[in-house]
Amino acid sequence: MPFLSRLASLRRNLFTGRRVERDLDDELRAYLDQLTEEKRGAGMDAAEARRAALIELGGLEQVKEEVRQVRTGQVFEELAQDLRYGVRTLRKNPAFTVVAVLALALGIGANTAMFSVAYGILLRPLPYADADRVAVVFMRYFSRDFAFGTMCMRDYLMWKENNRAFEDPALFSGRRMDIGGKEGVPEQVQGASVTAGFFSTLEVRPLIGRTFAAGEDKPTTGSLAVLSESIWRRRFAANSAVLGQTILVNGAPSTVIGVMPGAFRFPQRETEVWINLPLNPPTRYGPWFYRGVARLKPGVTLQQAQAETNNIGLRMMQQNSYYKGLTLPILSLRDALLGTTLKPAILVLAGAVGLVLLIAVVNVANLMLARATVREREMALRLSLGAGRGRLVRQLLTESVLLAVMGGAAGLALAWGGIELIRAWNPGNLPLIDSVRLDGGALGFMVFVSMLTGVLFGLAPALESARANLNSTIKEGGRGGGASQARGRTRSALVVSEIAISLMLLVGAGLLLRSFVNLQRVTGGFSTPPRQILTMLISPGDRKYNDAHTGLAFYDEVLRHARNVPGVEVAAVTDSLPPDRQGDADSFEIGGQTLAPGELNPIVSDVTVGPDFFRALRIPLVKGRYFTDYDNQDSAPVAIVSEGFVRRFFPDQEAIGKRIKQSGPGFGDKWMEIVGIVGNVKFMGLTVDTDPAYYMPFAQTYGPRMFLAVRSSGDAASLSAALRRDIQSIDPGITLAEIGTMEQALTLSVSQPRFDTMLLALFAGIALLLAAIGIYGLIAYSVVQRTHEIGVRMALGAGQADVVRMVVRQGASLAAIGIVIGLGGAFALTRLLRTMLFGIGATDALTFAAAPLGIMLVVLLATFLPAFRATRISPVVALRYE
Amino acid sequence: MPATNLLQGTLDLLILKALALTELHGLAISRRIAQITNRTFQVKPGSLFPALHRMEEAGWLASDWGDSENNRRAKFYRLTAAGRRQLQTETRQWETIALAIASALQAS
Repeated sequence: MPFLSRLASLRRNLFTGRRVERDLDDELRAYLDQLTEEKRGAGMDAAEARRAALIELGGLEQVKEEVRQVRTGQVFEELAQDLRYGVRTLRKNPAFTVVAVLALALGIGANTAMFSVAYGILLRPLPYADADRVAVVFMRYFSRDFAFGTMCMRDYLMWKENNRAFEDPALFSGRRMDIGGKEGVPEQVQGASVTAGFFSTLEVRPLIGRTFAAGEDKPTTGSLAVLSESIWRRRFAANSAVLGQTILVNGAPSTVIGVMPGAFRFPQRETEVWINLPLNPPTRYGPWFYRGVARLKPGVTLQQAQAETNNIGLRMMQQNSYYKGLTLPILSLRDALLGTTLKPAILVLAGAVGLVLLIAVVNVANLMLARATVREREMALRLSLGAGRGRLVRQLLTESVLLAVMGGAAGLALAWGGIELIRAWNPGNLPLIDSVRLDGGALGFMVFVSMLTGVLFGLAPALESARANLNSTIKEGGRGGGASQARGRTRSALVVSEIAISLMLLVGAGLLLRSFVNLQRVTGGFSTPPRQILTMLISPGDRKYNDAHTGLAFYDEVLRHARNVPGVEVAAVTDSLPPDRQGDADSFEIGGQTLAPGELNPIVSDVTVGPDFFRALRIPLVKGRYFTDYDNQDSAPVAIVSEGFVRRFFPDQEAIGKRIKQSGPGFGDKWMEIVGIVGNVKFMGLTVDTDPAYYMPFAQTYGPRMFLAVRSSGDAASLSAALRRDIQSIDPGITLAEIGTMEQALTLSVSQPRFDTMLLALFAGIALLLAAIGIYGLIAYSVVQRTHEIGVRMALGAGQADVVRMVVRQGASLAAIGIVIGLGGAFALTRLLRTMLFGIGATDALTFAAAPLGIMLVVLLATFLPAFRATRISPVVALRYE
Repeated sequence: MPATNLLQGTLDLLILKALALTELHGLAISRRIAQITNRTFQVKPGSLFPALHRMEEAGWLASDWGDSENNRRAKFYRLTAAGRRQLQTETRQWETIALAIASALQAS
């Protein structure tokens, strides 16, 4: 019964609120009338009785407010009221609202986007069962420079037989493959050769068909192929009849047994075909093409596995004197996919964007404080009209939440757009980009943080003014009592911290920018303009071209066709291209050099090129001669070496005339005479410093898969269609891939530093903008506050210049403090960037000098407008002000 | 006259008691309470009206507009059945407490 009664009251209060209010008003007025009558009955005159009655009542509105407080559903009623009032207040101060919402939106948006990217790449579970139990095994030894290198089959078998920590190890190697068959024109795709355990180790299931069964990597097993969903849709129209069909892989027949779902992208994102790798019992060491993948046995940690594998590595070293300082690094699947540079970069960017959120939040705090001062009088007035303190607090809370929700909504839109952009554009060539999605948790957290800020900085002054003496506040009109002076100090401190933080970000962005400019200045070692070079990867597509005689004739035909395309000046073949497309790398021996037993010269790039390669790219000849058409199968073997090679291996000798030979059992006794020295070319990335190389003529070291490089008289990109058509006309089995200009290749090679630089610059820009808004707001507000003082000064003879100087000095001194703090912070933090920098140190003097100047400039600009406004104050008006 | 601070429970009990015999309007309730407590309790409108509305929402009181003794419109409150039960309960409780407090104070 009481419950039903409450429910009825709730319904009445909520839906017929106006009638309930009128009823209350009537009731109280009737009470007042009766009271007046009573007093008159006691002998007072009409006016006196009315006054006495009013006093006894104690304020009509206060009583009403008390009654409202006890009503059921009052909370809803007040919330709706607060919301209406909040919206009205925000709409009445559009500048405040826009700035606060914009600051929050930028902070929330940038953070949600960045944290979604970071989460997707660093934390989101990989689409493989128990992916954190899967590890990739690499191999590194002394004479190779790769930290995460590859092993040969013999190493793998030894490791597999001796390890107890993993179950189901498998071996794999990525490589280019020609796919052809009756289903369509041949094409070149990324493929992988894998042993039978590969798919079962990763615990992935095919979309249709099956994966390799145990034992299907015997030398007697026929060639089997597993396709990706993408190639299945593209070449086979997603027809399940593909199972059992024979396709051509590098010219050899292979039976399709299954199709993997699109989410499976290993070992590379682009991998489209997996072929079973026959585990032939190897008779010798090499080639070092492979990496291992395996699943940890239950209860075994990665550290334990690494310790055991280290022991196996020691035994390998004892068995083979080639291996010096051999280690077998084991990485989790995710770390193996990410590589070494991405993780620190993403962590730095996430830290930077966190600072942006901090600034946005500080800005909102600042705005709330400023507004609290202005609203002191409003609050006092509402208190005196009977509003409860709790009610005022709730009101301010509602406004903060409103702001946070608006900022959050705008931020959500920004984050969504940003993530879509990053996914579509993938500017940093990020692995695992497919698992980046807008993260609800991140968004929720950001909104919560900004709401908290609003509440804290809106509430503290509100509570304070609620405690304040009503009389003095109302009289004073919010013109600066003790409370608002303290608040002014807090606001100054907030602005100082904004300046300090944005300086740190600016220094970071400046360092990355300078480093990126350095990177852009690095030439690959050739002087043909990059946009005039077009390259493509060619494969003749049939096994018959594996023979050098047939193959060389084929490439002569390719070059003849290429040279006939209008606009082509020079055409040449090569197996390596700058800036980062190294073909082969191997050790070598020098004639007359005596090495200790088991000692090996370092492994360097060995590049196979046609005679016109150096002319096509304009790689300078330092001494001797280039290759010619006469350096062929019938003539004596020759080689050309790079300047870096000479500096390292013939520092004080004449290199020309010396003889070198490729190491390893497969190369026989083919000593090559050095006939020329050319300038250094980068084959392993622009940032790699010393990069010695030796070159061999194509006609003496034939290989079927080669790059064609042409130099054009104009923009090379326009030649690609004609070139492709002409070369394809030689043989329908030819496949072409990776067609693009050198300019595109250079851009792609620095995509990750560009991504890092752009994002950090963007974050610093946002931070600077927010800091500028913050300081503008503070100075503009203080000019209004000091109108009276400025008026007095001007009346006493201060000129406009004096007033400007006074106002600007206020901003400049805040900036100075912020800059000192910020420089200290930057000094401490930029060391985190060190691995991301190229060609400059983390304490680059120019950046550390320019960034504070930039900040000072922005601060002065932000100060100038209010300063200028101060000079327009008329002393007469100012002195009359209030 | 002592400005006695009324505990909420006490105020509820006094209002219920004041309305036990007949329905009354706001001013009359306040006067009746003063009368039955020998002018010890002067209930101010700021306490009276919130209490009346709260008790009405709890279902103890019902109200209707009617004409007062000098023919003015006024809102009259009366006890509901639930209100009478509440009066009995609170009376019993109060007597228990009063007895307990009194004996506590008399103990030496």
